[in-house]
Amino acid sequence: TMDVAAEDSDQMPSGFHAKAAAKAARLRREAAKLASAAALESPGGIESRPGEWAPTQSKLLRRVAVAARPGHFELSLQYGPYSVAYDTTGRLLALCGRGGHVAAFEWRQKRLMFESQVNEPCHALTWVGAGSTPQLAVAHSNWTYIYDAQGLELHCLKRLHKANKLFWLPRHWLLAACTDTGHLHWQDVSTGQTVASYCGHHGPLRVSALHPDSGCVLTGQPNGQLCIWTPLEKRPVVKILCCPAGVRAVATAPAGHAVYTLGGDSRLRVWDIRCLRPLSVSDNGADAASIRLFDAAPQLAVSQRGLLACPVRQGAALMVLPAGGAKPLLSHPSPGRLSDLAFCPWEDVLAFGHARGLGSVLVPGSGEPNPDGAVHPLSGKRQRREAEVRGLLDKLPPETIAPPAVGGGVNAVDAEGIEEALARKRAAVMALPSDEVRQFQPRRRSGKASGELNRKVGERWQRRRMELRQLLKSKKRVLAEMGDEGADAAGGRKTKKAKKISQSGELTKPATGTFLDRLIPKAD
Amino acid sequence: CLFPVLIDQLNTHWPMKVKLLLRNPQDYLRETADDIHKLARNPAPELHPMSAETEYVRALNAAKLERMFAKPFLGCFGDQGDQLSRVCMHPRALSLCLSGCVDGRVAFWNIPRRSRVLQLDAHSGCVQGLCWHPEQDLFYSCCDTDRTLKAWRVGDDLTEFSRPVSQRHLDFAPLNLDHHVSKDLFALSGDAVYLYDSRRSDPVGQWKWGSDSVLQARFNPTEWHLLAAVTKDNALLLIDTRQREPLRRIRCEFRQNALCWNPQEPFVLATASDDYNLYSWDARRLASPACVYRGHTNAAMDVDFAPTGRELVSASYDCTVRLWESGRSQSRDVYHTKRMYRVFAARYSLDARFIVTASADFNLRLWKARASEKLGALTPRERAAVNTAEALKQKYAHHPQVRRIVQHRHLPKRLYQAQLEMKAIRGKQRRKEVNRREHRGEDKEPFVPERDRHVRGVDE
Repeated sequence: TMDVAAEDSDQMPSGFHAKAAAKAARLRREAAKLASAAALESPGGIESRPGEWAPTQSKLLRRVAVAARPGHFELSLQYGPYSVAYDTTGRLLALCGRGGHVAAFEWRQKRLMFESQVNEPCHALTWVGAGSTPQLAVAHSNWTYIYDAQGLELHCLKRLHKANKLFWLPRHWLLAACTDTGHLHWQDVSTGQTVASYCGHHGPLRVSALHPDSGCVLTGQPNGQLCIWTPLEKRPVVKILCCPAGVRAVATAPAGHAVYTLGGDSRLRVWDIRCLRPLSVSDNGADAASIRLFDAAPQLAVSQRGLLACPVRQGAALMVLPAGGAKPLLSHPSPGRLSDLAFCPWEDVLAFGHARGLGSVLVPGSGEPNPDGAVHPLSGKRQRREAEVRGLLDKLPPETIAPPAVGGGVNAVDAEGIEEALARKRAAVMALPSDEVRQFQPRRRSGKASGELNRKVGERWQRRRMELRQLLKSKKRVLAEMGDEGADAAGGRKTKKAKKISQSGELTKPATGTFLDRLIPKAD
Repeated sequence: CLFPVLIDQLNTHWPMKVKLLLRNPQDYLRETADDIHKLARNPAPELHPMSAETEYVRALNAAKLERMFAKPFLGCFGDQGDQLSRVCMHPRALSLCLSGCVDGRVAFWNIPRRSRVLQLDAHSGCVQGLCWHPEQDLFYSCCDTDRTLKAWRVGDDLTEFSRPVSQRHLDFAPLNLDHHVSKDLFALSGDAVYLYDSRRSDPVGQWKWGSDSVLQARFNPTEWHLLAAVTKDNALLLIDTRQREPLRRIRCEFRQNALCWNPQEPFVLATASDDYNLYSWDARRLASPACVYRGHTNAAMDVDFAPTGRELVSASYDCTVRLWESGRSQSRDVYHTKRMYRVFAARYSLDARFIVTASADFNLRLWKARASEKLGALTPRERAAVNTAEALKQKYAHHPQVRRIVQHRHLPKRLYQAQLEMKAIRGKQRRKEVNRREHRGEDKEPFVPERDRHVRGVDE
């Protein structure tokens, strides 16, 4: 491609080149326009005076438009501590209670999709599938069930036994689960195939989170380790020691590389999953490695823009911390003991489940203002259907689930293949068959059917001798390429050519530019 | 107390600013039912994790879809009743072609309908040459048994004519025929290359090198005085009509069965050889072929360039038709059918989208040049999708999973075995050379590149 500005088009050698240059310039201009396009929405936020208290919900409601009111509501329900989950578009909210209450509704219009009593304690839930056919996976006390938008039970996943946390990987169409028995499961929801299901042998996995950018499951262990799991490995791929005491909570941002861990010492630490090192939390430098969360119960939620929500005062209230800050942005009392927190994607709303029901509060600045594609609350039915089909076509294989720290990926250099080729060449050089092996003659048998047997054995050894001959030849060739010093280093005999070169005083052959250059010993 | 007043004043003069993210649905919905749906765009990479993997999956899907839609065979033209010897495309009309039969019949075909429009009992023996006049509605046919060259006129209403417009008796047995691009000249190949003017009865020029007959002579479409010819004694001749003697003779190892000039590059020609290869030659440097196209498992009988000059099609005695990209020695595609026997002729249509083949099972067949191409109008979105798929496949062409899908072609068992056999033969030859070189040394047994192995010599 010609990388010349459009104004040089009159200096092009021909009309064809001028047209190509003009087209390239036009594409560059369009890309620049797209990249710098004024975004449609700007993020929310609170500008408060220094020293002012964090605002209450009533104060916020007085200062925002009426259209924001649906984000603030309270539901008093009786069936036990509730878990809440938003779907990826942010349009639907689902809840499940330990008393067996399962419900889903569109929270903006307060339109109930379904509500049922399953007569079993429900511990966790997640939306699965794409927005056009939303399905809800709920972890009951024994097995996991999948319900459709009308509340009909579609599937009972007996393999996901005693799951305490369910995760949805939208790009891989996988439902991942961590169980109290220490097992991990990855189930393909589009084909129904179990991608992986194994025992991690790291005790019950009660503290877990999903890293959405890579699809790995992170679990916190009582010995302070953070383990990263992938479906293809039955052992944690990465283990880092992140707390001096046990890990009480793990959370990840919906996008990006930050991992938040809450340790038994009540310290919140932020880690970079790419290099597995801590990220500093506060800007003022004081206690940069961690912040102290007194009386924090082990639930954490992170929003799209990095705001962190956690319960305080033993679940009696929730607190929202700004991204990279220690001073609370917002706090809100909870009618019951807090059991779950979830930020709504694409909106400045936070839902919390507690022992007496659930609630929703406004959190300015938590949602990503500009979505991409059809996965946002205002996309229509047709667009969601289209996005679902495209999502199925672009379904990634489970091999792509890998922690960023480990490296690899589709565009990575095939270092293993290169290493293998090098190892083969090295073996060809170093493995010199001994004389006795080369000159071995098989023992001749006698008796019935010995003629056939002798013939076969002879043929086999003939083939082996040919192989050894080839091996010798390739070693000679490689030694000749390596030159004088190489031959000496490898312990082999100098070839005639190498001897000639050394006698004539010529320089040894220069590097061939292939992998074999690595075998040439460096001049000391 | 002073303080409540102060606080009140502070509240009014310096109120807390709260901005909540609220979306206006009108920004996300289309205005009328005639508009397309709006799509939100944010190119920030945080919202597009695993984009390389997604692209790779799309490239893989594109490769798979291409193979799923690869159905190149369009149909048979109908049984001709006897073996077809020649196919000739009309120089100006897309939908017409001629075929010559071994029993002397010449048929006029409508390609889109795959139906025969007209049939003439042209000769008493095999029709050895067929070509159209470039401007007039006139075509020529020649036969070696009755040693005649006949000119036929076909009217607009395509009615049948039983007698030719003109007939010429030759004192040699013609083996092929070609008409000049613009002048009223045609070249007949028999025991020599004869140049005839349509207005004169005697040949205007005659060229010969050696004693063997000339199989085919073709005019260069750009250089009007240049002719190329292939002879029975494994030679390729280059002839300038302004000179008495041929310019060059390239002695090859095997017989070249057919030749074709590149319509876009004046100095490039391609030949189909008996040693299963095709060769493309640069007329400026004839010491060795510019490219060796290897793939057929039996003699290559015919070769034709696409009108774009970028692609070749070859017909082979091994019952396959192969398509090649100019300059790449591995074939892009291979066409075969259970019923197609030895293929003796293959021609590109004028728009480079279709291929017509004539084979020994008495049939003409129509194929697509691009096997997975959609025939018919493409909407702009379809075209964009096709272009994107093509670009993705090229980007990941080196990746093993994509490459194996893109390259793989199913072959019938006998053809596959023949291919393996050729591979084994070639491998054996190469290994032997390597061993010889190791034993005797580089100077006594130098490495000869593929290109230099096929030419015995060039004579001037």
